[in-house]
Amino acid sequence: MEDARALQRERIEVYHAIYEDRVPKRVPVNVSLPFEVIAQFGGLDLKEAQWDPSTIEEAVDSMCQRVYSDVCVYMGSFRYPSFYQLLKSRSFKMASNGYIQHAEVAGMDSEDYDYLIENPYDCIVERILPRLYKALDPEEPIRFCLDFAKSFLAYKEDFAASNHIRKKMIDKYGYYPEDLFSENSGFTETPFDFLADQLRGLKGISRDIRRMPDKVAAACEALYPLVLKKGLPSKITKYSQVFLPLHMPPFLREEDFAKLYWPTFKRMLDEYASMGIRCTLFCQHDWTRYLDYLYELPTDTTLWFEYGNPKLVKRKLGKKHVITGFFPIMNLKTKTKEECAEEAKRYIDILAPGGKYIFNFDKNPLLLTDIKLENLCAVTETVRDYAVYTNPGEVSGMIFKKEDYKVPEYRDFESKYFAKAYPELTGLAEWRLKRLDDEMFNYSIFLLL
Amino acid sequence: MKNVTTLSDQIIKSVEELDEERVIKLANKALKSGMDPLFLLNLINEGVKRVGKLYEERKYFIADLIMAGLIFKEVLELEEIKAQFQRKDGEIKGKVVVGTVKGDLHDIGKEIFKGLMEVNGFEVIDLGVDVPEDAFVKSVIKHKPDIVGLSGVLTTAVESMKDVVEALKRARLRDSVKIIVGGSYITEELCEYIGADSFANDASEGVKICSEFIKSECGG
Repeated sequence: MEDARALQRERIEVYHAIYEDRVPKRVPVNVSLPFEVIAQFGGLDLKEAQWDPSTIEEAVDSMCQRVYSDVCVYMGSFRYPSFYQLLKSRSFKMASNGYIQHAEVAGMDSEDYDYLIENPYDCIVERILPRLYKALDPEEPIRFCLDFAKSFLAYKEDFAASNHIRKKMIDKYGYYPEDLFSENSGFTETPFDFLADQLRGLKGISRDIRRMPDKVAAACEALYPLVLKKGLPSKITKYSQVFLPLHMPPFLREEDFAKLYWPTFKRMLDEYASMGIRCTLFCQHDWTRYLDYLYELPTDTTLWFEYGNPKLVKRKLGKKHVITGFFPIMNLKTKTKEECAEEAKRYIDILAPGGKYIFNFDKNPLLLTDIKLENLCAVTETVRDYAVYTNPGEVSGMIFKKEDYKVPEYRDFESKYFAKAYPELTGLAEWRLKRLDDEMFNYSIFLLL
Repeated sequence: MKNVTTLSDQIIKSVEELDEERVIKLANKALKSGMDPLFLLNLINEGVKRVGKLYEERKYFIADLIMAGLIFKEVLELEEIKAQFQRKDGEIKGKVVVGTVKGDLHDIGKEIFKGLMEVNGFEVIDLGVDVPEDAFVKSVIKHKPDIVGLSGVLTTAVESMKDVVEALKRARLRDSVKIIVGGSYITEELCEYIGADSFANDASEGVKICSEFIKSECGG
């Protein structure tokens, strides 16, 4: 246990050095594996195990012993079948191999734009959620209430069970304690991606961009306060992070991106930065066309790249932002152990100098068959032993100061389904009810992420 | 004659510019003035091909390809077209069976590929998403395609793609078809691992490869 404490202190120091704009002792190994990979590793039936996340604990423990990482090797999951099944989800479905994923289903029609722009949360609760979740049928209000409550219980239970395992492992193995699911972190999407993913779908948004760009822009404005609120960590600290997976920009022309995606995206990151929160952006697909835009984002934004040229990225962005990703996870499947270790060194040689670099792959593996486990181990151990700095403590690139960021006033959302205040209550009573409002709000938006 | 040429050019141009409303308006006008539905479809095809070219030149992107596909579909659904249009066998360049493989529910990549293949003269049999290997085998027996196209957005699709190739081998059908796999993450090594003939990281690349397959088949 004492070893774990010492290891944890070292890991905290490494990560904090990065977020305090200093060169760390070594490059942190930020590799964690999703629920599905670990369930398969433990020989569990994936379809069954997802119904009770606590069944995975033994497999998690043994994976933690096998794979080196500075964060908890068990990542957890956002997608458990219980709540999606109870709500009869049309968009989140379990495929024949047990993997839960998001099919292309649109929850919003183009005729809904005006209502969404006028009253975004009402439109989501009254129209969009019922279209995506068949159990939420406004014609059956009592069943709607009961099924919604049941699904919320399931959601709370599953996340609690998973978090319990994660926290236990963090203590036992001394991992860096902050991650996607800790209380000083958040998860959300940019307004445009939120609109494109489950509201309009890829086909719908592709059409709207050409047919009604003004409404798309106005919808992003209207959704802005909602997705911003969804991402806010329950506790803001100096090391708080909000995670945003970015989807649409590589599919767009630059002029459409500049007009429709960028304004609310940039404002969102500036607003988080003004609160002292830094963001981790998963730049899906190839972002080479947008590197100059990424440069404009607040200092110390963590940019997780899937494809592109690491040398170019390091040169253009490496002094301002924290870079991660690039190493193709699928190489763990096709290459030898030695080749994988050598490849890791090549990425380190390019991306580590000067600091502001965290090691991770270009994406997470989805199932155990995506990788050869011995190759994964070889890579993370190579990074741990090879990526050691000779100049720890030196200033690393540009320095983040929350005072540098301000955002102009914008219209907040109002809704009859969300109470912002309880004037008749004070103290604990008001705090308690407001917290419950926030929880219900977060769950409703979560169902659309 | 001049009017017809102008209208034709306008139709091609509005498809190229992805102006959906204008395409439909002009298509209706053309049909009313007696344009042969097949001739109209050729114009739309030409417009979609130009969109494909702009995509290759990196002036257009995926959202534009999707939009072109939607416009094409909408024209196909015009009454006059539905009533009269039937592709003659003689015009078909080749036959391809496509599907998103087992374990993957994503259909956008496959849809774009399918749309582009159709405008390029291929007959496409679409098996849908999360398709098990035996469904591919059955479809190959039934439709005798030239090409089998396996799509997958998730990295887990690699194993399922390999399963399809193995199943076709077991059914002694592997050599009767060319197999192409599509996904943004697919590399030469993965293509070899799967046992496919070729791979594409995007749909328009895939169409080119399929056209090459057919050319080499015909030309020897």
